[in-house]
Amino acid sequence: MHSTDLRRGLERREARLAWWLVTPAVGTILLVALFPLAWTLWESVHLHDLRMPWLGRPFIGAGNYAEALGDPRFWSALGHTGFFTAISVTIELGLGLVLALAMNRATRGRTLVRAAVLVPWAIPTVVSALLWRFMFDDQAGIVNAVLGRIGLTREPIVWFIRPDLAWVPVIVSDVWKTTPFVALLLLAGLQNIDAGLYEAARIDGASAWQQFRHVTLPLLKPALLVALVFRTLDSFRVFDLIYVLTGGGPGTSTEPIALYTFNSLLQNLRFGYGSALSVITFAVSFVLAAAYLRLLGRDLTEAKS
Amino acid sequence: MVTFPGSMLGGEGAVLRSQLQRFMREHPTIRVVQRDTPDAADQRHQLYVQWLNAEASEPDILQLDAIWTPEFAAAGWILPLERFNPDTNAFFPVTIEANRWQRRLFAIPWFADVGMLYWRTDLMPRAPTSLAELEQEAARARARGLRFGLVWSGARYEGLVTVFLEYLGAYGGQILQGGKVVVSSPAGLQALNTMRDEIYRSGIVPSSVLTWHEEETRFAFQNGDAAFMRNWPYPYPIMGDSAVSRVAGRFAVAPMPAASNGAPTAALGGAQLAINARSENPAAAWAVVDYLTRPEQMLERARVTGQFPTRRVLYDDPALAKSLSVPVATAREIIEHAVPRPVTPVYTELSEILQVQLHRVLTRQIDPARGLARAAAEMQALLNRAGLGPGTPLAQH
Repeated sequence: MHSTDLRRGLERREARLAWWLVTPAVGTILLVALFPLAWTLWESVHLHDLRMPWLGRPFIGAGNYAEALGDPRFWSALGHTGFFTAISVTIELGLGLVLALAMNRATRGRTLVRAAVLVPWAIPTVVSALLWRFMFDDQAGIVNAVLGRIGLTREPIVWFIRPDLAWVPVIVSDVWKTTPFVALLLLAGLQNIDAGLYEAARIDGASAWQQFRHVTLPLLKPALLVALVFRTLDSFRVFDLIYVLTGGGPGTSTEPIALYTFNSLLQNLRFGYGSALSVITFAVSFVLAAAYLRLLGRDLTEAKS
Repeated sequence: MVTFPGSMLGGEGAVLRSQLQRFMREHPTIRVVQRDTPDAADQRHQLYVQWLNAEASEPDILQLDAIWTPEFAAAGWILPLERFNPDTNAFFPVTIEANRWQRRLFAIPWFADVGMLYWRTDLMPRAPTSLAELEQEAARARARGLRFGLVWSGARYEGLVTVFLEYLGAYGGQILQGGKVVVSSPAGLQALNTMRDEIYRSGIVPSSVLTWHEEETRFAFQNGDAAFMRNWPYPYPIMGDSAVSRVAGRFAVAPMPAASNGAPTAALGGAQLAINARSENPAAAWAVVDYLTRPEQMLERARVTGQFPTRRVLYDDPALAKSLSVPVATAREIIEHAVPRPVTPVYTELSEILQVQLHRVLTRQIDPARGLARAAAEMQALLNRAGLGPGTPLAQH
């Protein structure tokens, strides 16, 4: 009786100590993550326009959100973001998988290949975006020079004034930059697959395609999902790449949601409306992340059992 | 002490430093401290707004772009200047008009930037006197093998609006009248149709200009690839240097020509000096502003930077002819054709709406009539939301 009391007291003291110990961490999280979020939420329900101080800063409830939902530019920005994410992530996963399989096979110069593959990933986005802009320049760019040389085009293409073609440099440069990241992630997954499984499959007479389909793919699924989550959430926030390459143009036909938000907040200084856009972006990313986490979580537990 | 953020770069920074040194020698009781600020207009604007919004008393003096004065005045961030009795008659009226808000003067024009037509003296005997003649000459130059007829800055940014404003004036149109948006008028439609046809019908303007800013147009003209260029005064001295320019000695400037129903028009830009409404020392700040905008300093500035003085009388002064690289008579003629961009506190946002729709029209995503109508509707909605619509007291500028 006496000893259990003592133990309980100790446990309680330990628990209290534990709380004290995590306080700085929790406090930091609150300060750097939740406080700005709460502040943005608060701004988003006010009319706050730095360019029109005579309007004051009244509470307008869901007014900014209503404006966003009725704003065609917001919807098209959301559409552009979804389009960019779907296309670029699909290509990056496909290409990344091919690269990973090739690197997994290569025996000579393996480390060198892996290091080399990371070069595009290591270049700052703004720099690589500028490089690609020069390459796609209609007058002096190498892309038009090559297309003309091999006889595919007669006139140089002015890439950045065509609402459809302006996506080409955007997606090409994103694929160039982030495929290596996906490839390395998948390579790690490939190396975790037991070589004995392939041996067993071969003995059973499985073709290379059957091995890939029934051994590699199912066992690579967790790595694929991780790559998918990272890339989707990353692409959804795309900003610098498009800011440098197209500026969202021609017109606003390549403008993603992050760029529109930046424009409203920092160019037009509409803090209320811009904050509402930020909150919406946050909510969409959050839902995406939660959906993926559920998917990923279930898959990981399945893989275990 | 008076604080003054201004450009520290190149000849402009040097001439400002030496003028402020001279000022302090003449006024030993006032110390002027220069503050380094970004040269890019957007960044400078953002910084100013943050300072003034936080009710900072520094900097005392602000260097404003022509389009910011009404915004800062309506916000109550800068002082009305009548109390100092500025000599407004000495300046070009348009430069004063751009700095008034609700009939009060809020800034002194420091130097003027105007849009003008650069033309090749080796390709034609005289500058075109009408828009039609300009287009003919441009087409002829192209037929003789020149790459481009005419180049202007058509990327989606403020520069596109200034070009459009000049075409609009050429057809006798306006963007804003009182608090009412009138850009989708027949004149507006003619102006935009002309710009579009120059690219896609006659082909005298390359479609690449829709990604170009001032510098790209200068490169094209300077390399001898274009018969005409619409640009500001700054390329003039650069292109006169045969070490970098293939057209040195073979070009001149003129006002942008008009159609029969309009007038030659030059978009007005440039810099103004204003005083922070919360300055602790407005009298001293005024002394600096007054000093920097005096004829002698303007002449010196024109000599070093090539910028056009805003004082009308200086254009009769032989000293200016020696300082300015552009012929003085032409410079004066162009300034006399200058129009300010819409004088409204929400100009930057209005302009952004217009930029988007103009660019959509010129990249053929929407037809001119619908693009202009949409721009007008959005701009009017913005003015109404800001309490600057027709009939409101703020609409009268």
